Amino acid sequence: MNNLQLKRVLTLRTVVATSAGLTLATSSFLAAAQVAGFMAGDSAWLSILVSGVLCILAATCFSELNSILPSAAGIRLYLGKAFGDKVALTFSMLYMLIVMGVVGAESFVLAKIFNYSIPQVAPVIWITAMLAIVTLLNIRGIKLAGRFQDVVTYGVIVSVILLSLWGLRQVNFHLVAPLAVGGATKFIQAVAVGVFLFVGFEWVTPLAEEVTDSRIIPRGMFIAVGIVCVVYALFTAAMTANIARGVFIHSPIPQVLFAQKVLGKAGLVWILLICLSCSFGTFNAGLLSVSRFFYATAREHALPPVFSRVSMRFMTPWVSIIAVFAVGYIFSLVILYTGRYLVLVDMAAAAESIIYVLSAAAVLVLRKTMADAPRSFRVPFGPVIPVLTMLIFAVLAVMAIATDPVIAFWVAAGLVVIGLYVVYVVPRIKEKYKVKRSSRRGARPVL
Amino acid sequence: MATHGEITESLQAFHKSYQENERLKVMNKDWNRTVLVIANDVESTHTLVLKEGELSFQEGRQGDPDLTVISDSGILSDMFFGDITPTEPYLNGTLKIIGSEDDIMRLDFITLLIWGE
Repeated sequence: MNNLQLKRVLTLRTVVATSAGLTLATSSFLAAAQVAGFMAGDSAWLSILVSGVLCILAATCFSELNSILPSAAGIRLYLGKAFGDKVALTFSMLYMLIVMGVVGAESFVLAKIFNYSIPQVAPVIWITAMLAIVTLLNIRGIKLAGRFQDVVTYGVIVSVILLSLWGLRQVNFHLVAPLAVGGATKFIQAVAVGVFLFVGFEWVTPLAEEVTDSRIIPRGMFIAVGIVCVVYALFTAAMTANIARGVFIHSPIPQVLFAQKVLGKAGLVWILLICLSCSFGTFNAGLLSVSRFFYATAREHALPPVFSRVSMRFMTPWVSIIAVFAVGYIFSLVILYTGRYLVLVDMAAAAESIIYVLSAAAVLVLRKTMADAPRSFRVPFGPVIPVLTMLIFAVLAVMAIATDPVIAFWVAAGLVVIGLYVVYVVPRIKEKYKVKRSSRRGARPVL
Repeated sequence: MATHGEITESLQAFHKSYQENERLKVMNKDWNRTVLVIANDVESTHTLVLKEGELSFQEGRQGDPDLTVISDSGILSDMFFGDITPTEPYLNGTLKIIGSEDDIMRLDFITLLIWGE
């Protein structure tokens, strides 16, 4: 198949921008503030660095899986090949549910930012308007052109770095206690929540079929994680140096307080633009990937067929898109009225860690079951890195869940409900369509 | 396993159903793509060309493809006859499609609109 030539090929620049762009969210600044809250002194950078390095370990596992099974189906295919369809479907559904939660958290944070800038408009109106606009754009199939998306992502990266450096310069920053982590438990919890900062870097693997050299995907992931690491480490250092700990820990908009303190009204406008760019990317990636997942799941008869309805006008899965909007909107409203926005951040960090554990385990399983499959990338040092990744992220998942008993309850409840659905309901839907398809076989067009 | 002839027959059925669907032709008016269909267990290659809403297909390879569909002959034939959805073999790795995610989705939409759920 090596002689196959694609007309449109993605470059390393786009792969890096896609991977980094997916991790840069407005709600990530909240996670960065939470990480800083766990750590003593100005050592938040250390936990972000450790989270980044651990995510690189996970990235090596994704790279090997992607090199064996380069497909837009990504994690669904890796887990299916390694553990069977039921496990793959259960965890993919849980993952997508969490992504919708992130969309909800993101719209909540952005609404708070807009409400802070224009207090006359209530957050609920901002949430409704933003989610409705993004949903309509998705239904109409409007997307940013690849090159423009790259410019936006690199623009956000440069902006956050410049803003952070400016903030550090203003207080004549010097590291005072860069290694004072404030206790092992706090440090591990900070690292666990720090994983949220990198959520989504692996979503670049579905681009595997759009590159000619499959090594571009792992390279892109490693570079993106490195860049994001630097961006958030600088941002937390600058934020903790400029804003009192008690203020940023309890605020849903720490980045706004920081930018305003550093640059006044100009800072407010700048951070608004940064957050808008970040959220647009997050909304788009969330709506797009989850709605496509719903659509594909309905097409394989694991969800009711209504989710596979396609708009004849715009060629988009409109029912799935509206379903994602509805769930994201409910999440947003729940956060808005309970004020517990950090629950979703921690839940996403926990779910992401669980996915990394499974991916590392899948590497080990597929080395046995698909031993002869060609691999353009192999995780070095035999089983050491996958085993380490499994153990470390298992601990981090537990630590992220342990930050709040509510998280443990919802993650467990989600797994049980989805598991029951996959075991008892999915086989019935599949059976129904098996009968329908076999009756269609007789009606094959006669030529 | 299916033969090259059966794959050709399934593509003829797909082509016929597509041509009968005027709405589908209008929808694909601006989606000009070349799709290469390759069986990996028998000697069989076909090229589907969508141009200004019209679908044509030929045996063998013609030009550079935007999308390349690779699977075993049985799956290809079942898929183009509408006996299975492409999603099932795609998600279990037995069907490989090389191309952009958007194009892969569009191809699936077309099979859905031709063959139903």
